[in-house]
Amino acid sequence: MADVRLEITDGHGRRVVRVDTPVFTIGRRSKSDLCLAGTDVSRDHAQIACDGGRFILRDQQSRYGTFVNDQPVVEKPLAHGDRIRLGRGGGAELLFLVDEVGASTPSGTSRAAVSSVENLRQMAALLEGLRALGSGHVLDEVLTLVLDAAIEVTGAERGFIMLANAEHVLQFTLARARGRVTLPGKTWDTSLKIPERVFTTGETQIVSDLRDGDLAAAHLGTVALGIRHVLCAPLRLVRYLHESGAAPEPRRIGVLYLDSRDRGILLSPTARTGVETLATDAAIAIENARLYRETLEKARLDQELRIAAEIQQGLLPEPRYVGKGLEVVGASIPCRSIGGDLFEYIDLPSGDFGFALGDVAGKGPPAALLTAALQGMFMAHAASEGGPAATLARVNQALMRRAVQNRFVTMAYGIISPAGQLTYCNAGHNPPMLFTRGGVLRLEEGGMVLGLFGHAQFAQATLQLDPGDVLVVFSDGVSEATDVAGEEFGDDRILSCIGENLHLEPAALLEHLLAGVRQFSEGTIQRDDVTALVLRYTGT
Amino acid sequence: MQLEERRVGNVIVLDAKGKLTLGDGDVLLKDKIHSLVQQGHKNVVLNLGDVPYVDSAGIGEIVGTYTTLSRVGGTLRLLNLTKRIHDLLAITKLLTVFETFTSEDEAVRSFPAAV
Repeated sequence: MADVRLEITDGHGRRVVRVDTPVFTIGRRSKSDLCLAGTDVSRDHAQIACDGGRFILRDQQSRYGTFVNDQPVVEKPLAHGDRIRLGRGGGAELLFLVDEVGASTPSGTSRAAVSSVENLRQMAALLEGLRALGSGHVLDEVLTLVLDAAIEVTGAERGFIMLANAEHVLQFTLARARGRVTLPGKTWDTSLKIPERVFTTGETQIVSDLRDGDLAAAHLGTVALGIRHVLCAPLRLVRYLHESGAAPEPRRIGVLYLDSRDRGILLSPTARTGVETLATDAAIAIENARLYRETLEKARLDQELRIAAEIQQGLLPEPRYVGKGLEVVGASIPCRSIGGDLFEYIDLPSGDFGFALGDVAGKGPPAALLTAALQGMFMAHAASEGGPAATLARVNQALMRRAVQNRFVTMAYGIISPAGQLTYCNAGHNPPMLFTRGGVLRLEEGGMVLGLFGHAQFAQATLQLDPGDVLVVFSDGVSEATDVAGEEFGDDRILSCIGENLHLEPAALLEHLLAGVRQFSEGTIQRDDVTALVLRYTGT
Repeated sequence: MQLEERRVGNVIVLDAKGKLTLGDGDVLLKDKIHSLVQQGHKNVVLNLGDVPYVDSAGIGEIVGTYTTLSRVGGTLRLLNLTKRIHDLLAITKLLTVFETFTSEDEAVRSFPAAV
């Protein structure tokens, strides 16, 4: 058996076509076995007929003639190494090659060497691609390497990587052509049916002629380009599961699509095996690059959140404040990088000291945005005539004008005079605890949460502090911190945590409370922002 | 959270089951109320007997339900508050806004009779 090929050199580069039909047609007509463009090529230019082991070239009354080794011919038996030219030159040149299987002629040996060199080149390209896959981090680079390797291995003219989007629809991700060039544009004339089928079934598909059968009607555009031969392989991702025993579950992420005008080696079993090997490793590399990119994006987001967190902490007052007759210390620990709790101190024009603790419903960035706005609103109204109730009524109105639907705020605001007179208003906040010699009081006077009802009314209460009294204001992140069993820290634990340690300085008391919460909820994920404020009235 | 709808006379009773928290049930409740209002219903009893946990987003949504129904001239009644939800509504002082019931019959009868 002879392996007969034509090596074609033209404007598209060099490619090899197998002569494997009894009558092999050459011409501009798209149905030709070898379809060539060019002004000198007639629609039916020439044919090669196999006649008892011999191959005879016949000119088909072409306009510009057929030449073998620069001699015009009408009919000529071809020999290995003959150069065939169609027309006046400058167009395509075809080299006629015959490999006799088992041939022992010296030229046969060299041809076999050429063929194995070609195989080696294929393998080298494949290996280069695979090696690169291990180190590639950038998605575009990985895709380019994969596609170039696939084009090299198969001898295809064009290659495409189509990746599935979130809706499982295939989209062109990269198009490359022989010679390692990127095809410009966003969409190209390729089969749509074949990639979809390959993506759905997970089976590699090789189409030796797009004009065959049911494919023809769907591929008019592609066939018009002269494209006939297609190899399409799925990009299959084998996920390695952590649990042993579970079978790895393959997931398809897209397809590798190669096509060509000439069949070349595109349709050979070597090409198929090569591409399938490449496709499996490529899928892993593509997924890795994708994950890497997501990680980078996440890292950038994390960095932004870290900066936001610094800004948020910077917006809070210095934690410790020592004023006339009192000392106070506060802390806010968001459960995510930024949170929805705040505390505030203010020196009022009257010489009194104001302190507030607020909790915006929700957590994370959405709550943090509202917290910043709340802080501004509070400070704008903190010195309102009429005391804490008037302030919170105004903050409520301000929130009603601005606030996001159904987002509310709980807040406790108190004002202490140097003589120890405390006036406070509690707007739907966990009642602060006042530890006095006579027992613990809960500060409940006030009104409903802020930001939900414009008609809400607020009241305030006044009481006299004695030196040594300790006031603890906290967010529900303290009282509702849970342990591994799901039990809550609760008011009772706050009471004992503080009540048994009233001899400590405010800073130490606060640390004791926070440590108590930390230890209690050890092994769980902090679910809410934890904010607390400890104030001791020392007296004048 | 799951939400089942029953009709008792001219009142809709919604039986909620499961947590009502941010991203879990809050959107469901909002959508349900909007569709009820569109169908012309405005008197709703929200049965929270099988809701073990409500966070601030859930509270916000219950208030949203109240507001939406009030806007069309309707009312929301809360039924079978668990201790936890009762405490939360007490602390936030929202109990003063809602009428709450422990008997479905009383809750349904508390609405003005249909004209």
